[in-house]
Amino acid sequence: MAALPRRIIKETERLISDPVPGITAYPDESNLRAFTVAMDGPDSSPYEHGVFDLELYLPDDYPMCPPKVRFLTRIYHPNIDKLGRICLDVLKDNWSPALQIRTILLSIQALLASPNPDDPLANDVAEDWKKDEAKAIGVAKEWTSKYAKSHTASGSAE
Amino acid sequence: MKVQVLEWNAVASWHWDLKVDDSGVADELCGICRVPFDGTCPSCKYPGTDCPLILGDGCTHNFHLHCILKWLEQDTSKGLCPMCRQVFVYKRIKNMGTSEELHNLQVLIEGHKAMRERENEENEFDSFEDDVRMTD
Repeated sequence: MAALPRRIIKETERLISDPVPGITAYPDESNLRAFTVAMDGPDSSPYEHGVFDLELYLPDDYPMCPPKVRFLTRIYHPNIDKLGRICLDVLKDNWSPALQIRTILLSIQALLASPNPDDPLANDVAEDWKKDEAKAIGVAKEWTSKYAKSHTASGSAE
Repeated sequence: MKVQVLEWNAVASWHWDLKVDDSGVADELCGICRVPFDGTCPSCKYPGTDCPLILGDGCTHNFHLHCILKWLEQDTSKGLCPMCRQVFVYKRIKNMGTSEELHNLQVLIEGHKAMRERENEENEFDSFEDDVRMTD
């Protein structure tokens, strides 16, 4: 495997020494381009008190291309589909090499706080969301307590 | 007293001539590879004139030549500055040289410009069609 670019080494070091609040990200020992991420659901969102596992992978041409990120934990959200794929502009057409792993993870956390059913990826969820938002939020809460293990990303029990 | 010089070593240092901020420190990291401008970009073995700094004109963002080249080679860059998303153009500096890579940079910038113009024309055509439909 080619040597890891310095930028990736620096980003990894900073993620560990100065983590983003509510998010942990560690590289896999066998592949330093693959990260295991745990993200707290944002406060006063239907995902509050949940901890969501994600995988993040830095392709060979990173930072010219965005990281590939996917939810591993099931989540009821109009912009995240059954396979955990995320519909977020900065992960696709609006990527810029000035962004980095930590800013991308913050964007994903912000997406949890403000779902956008007008630009859906999970069409059925988005329809439910538009039809009856209160009910959809109820389902999202239910899924959070069912699938997203309820401790915080920093590891301390509630 | 008579001194005889037996041996001497000359030592020189260099750095890119960049604007310095109030604290006296130049904004020294390339926004793409996050390596100091005076350092080696990921495509080079040694720092130096083979990989000059490219200074944004219009925006104030600077990059290693190889870093901004690689970015503008991506279609998704749309020819924009990675930092501020303005259309990226660079300052022509005296003695900048005429390397093949600088030429490539110019070609890429012009390519993105042509692409934008084509898209604008298509959009205009679409809205023209809409107008026609409305008057029907």
